[in-house]
Amino acid sequence: MSVNKRDYGDLLVLMALVGFTLWYLLDAIRVSSSVQNLLLILPLSIVVLVIAALEVGLRLKRGTLLIREESEGEALHRTLPVVGLFAAYVLSLETLGFDVATVLFIAAFLVMKGERHWPLLGGYSLAFGFGVAFFFAQMLPYPMHMLILPG
Amino acid sequence: MIDFVAVEQGLALLFTNFSPWLVVVPGIVIGLIFGATPGLQISMAMAIFLPMTLYMDFVQAMLFLTAIFTGGSFGSGIPAILMNIPGTSSAIATAFDGYPMARQGRHNQALGVALVSSVIGTLMGYVILLVMIQPLSLMVLKLGPAEMFAVILWGMTLIASLKGEQVLKGLMAGFVGLLIGTIGFNELGMARGTMGQTYLLDGVPVIPAMMGMFAASELFKLANKEFIVESKASRKVKLSEIFQGFKLALSYPWVMIRGGLIGVFVGAVPGVGSSVSNLLSYVETQRRDKDPDSFGKGNPKGVVASESANSTSEAGSMATLLALGIPGGGATAVMLAAFAMHNITGGPQFIRQQTDVVYAIIFANFAQVFLLLIIGLLFIPLLANIIKVPMRYLIPSVLVLAVMGSFGLTGNMTGPVTVLVFAVVGWLFRHYGYSVPAAVIGMLLGAMAEKSLLHSYQISGGDLSYMLERPVTLIILALLLVSLFGKRLLGLYKRSKPSVTPE
Repeated sequence: MSVNKRDYGDLLVLMALVGFTLWYLLDAIRVSSSVQNLLLILPLSIVVLVIAALEVGLRLKRGTLLIREESEGEALHRTLPVVGLFAAYVLSLETLGFDVATVLFIAAFLVMKGERHWPLLGGYSLAFGFGVAFFFAQMLPYPMHMLILPG
Repeated sequence: MIDFVAVEQGLALLFTNFSPWLVVVPGIVIGLIFGATPGLQISMAMAIFLPMTLYMDFVQAMLFLTAIFTGGSFGSGIPAILMNIPGTSSAIATAFDGYPMARQGRHNQALGVALVSSVIGTLMGYVILLVMIQPLSLMVLKLGPAEMFAVILWGMTLIASLKGEQVLKGLMAGFVGLLIGTIGFNELGMARGTMGQTYLLDGVPVIPAMMGMFAASELFKLANKEFIVESKASRKVKLSEIFQGFKLALSYPWVMIRGGLIGVFVGAVPGVGSSVSNLLSYVETQRRDKDPDSFGKGNPKGVVASESANSTSEAGSMATLLALGIPGGGATAVMLAAFAMHNITGGPQFIRQQTDVVYAIIFANFAQVFLLLIIGLLFIPLLANIIKVPMRYLIPSVLVLAVMGSFGLTGNMTGPVTVLVFAVVGWLFRHYGYSVPAAVIGMLLGAMAEKSLLHSYQISGGDLSYMLERPVTLIILALLLVSLFGKRLLGLYKRSKPSVTPE
């Protein structure tokens, strides 16, 4: 069942898009205000700002500016830790190496999602993590940072 | 249109010796694996195996590379259907309905539909190439940057306005995507929006961004589910259902033909290719359908439209490569390198002097599609087992593949960080009803749109009204307006007309 909730996130996302557009336009003008440089960026930015104003105007008129229907099956408090774990994984790649960071990420994810069959958890994390890291390290022409396996 | 003497010589090139065929099966398997692995591109597979073609003669080398191309075109649809991760940008639209089909437990059917559409699409594309290679090459030359810009804007607007109720949010996502697509150096050497980061000088890496927005953000959403398909009975891999998918695909011949025609002509436009053709075909099919709201919810016509268009694009881009020596995308750029390695220059002279070789390549591709059907059938049951994997194992595994693949594309940490940033952006977009596909397509086409507009400006000597003097551009712009406001205008017209009741 969908529930109407008070939500500032929607407005924040809209403001972030407007903020990005304004920042990017100003940055492009700072680099050069020549027609060639702004040929697409200027009209496109204006269109984005007009659309944003229209969206806010329409929703104010309808009285739905801070109202959102909750999406089915997605609980924010259960999704945010996953996003955080993924961020930690990506940001630790350079420190822990692709091999160890991957093994730890998979193991942590499995624990977070309730896997308690420890031999399976350890076995899968090690086999998949090391296997994929090794495969990519061998396939790619660039060096991959590894802690244990050859890079 | 067809030079029959050259056809005979082409067939002789293929069948007097068995050696050209030895490389076809390995080529298709390589293409399938690379296409089906998120982050490993078809062009990457071709580039990795390009040095091997040094030991082959030219026909054999082309057969090997086109086999990778053919296998990859279908392969990229597999993760799009099973995991909502288009293996390449040419399978974006496949995910729109393929993935909802998989979530409804119709993954076998969806894969069957995709395989048959790919096979028939490739076949149709090469038949058109056989008949049309010369007139097509002349037509492509007539498309200028103004037309390319109009096509991009049209495609973009169509995608952005797909979500009926949230058109404004869709358009906004698409246009912000276009702006992001212009980050970095422009054609005049001016760097915008890089925040002083040298990594961004070449722009935001689009494929990692696409992986983040499409795949990672969707996986975040699914993190609380046990399986992709909740019902245990629906998770079975059944060959009979794959064959049902075959029949289902064949029951939409017009969708397939329309996709094929869009694919071959858009695929022939350099730089646009299959990334745009699958989307145009999808949108056009949805627009013409009696029940457009069923698209995006598991309508098999969406898969047929996308797969038939991206497969025929292969033939379209081959037309430009062979006839003009211009690569339509990454994969044909690698083929151009193979041309150079064998001291061959593509273009009108190549077609005139080596017509037999051109026909040999075309005929070999006819055979390749049947091999793809057999090899694809063998591979599908293996790959379809993915939906039996619990989400707690699947999600981190796919995220890892996306991170590694993105590292493979950029060669540094820019790829993984881009995946992370755009995963969060995509997740927020999904959460608040902004169109993720529109934003991705915008990013994909931003630089191309700016380049086309700049070239039009330069050609016109600074007078952009020149664009309005070109009839093809005007037609495309008119189509854009119709697709945006057509329904509304029609509604207004119907309301303003007094209703006539029979007496």
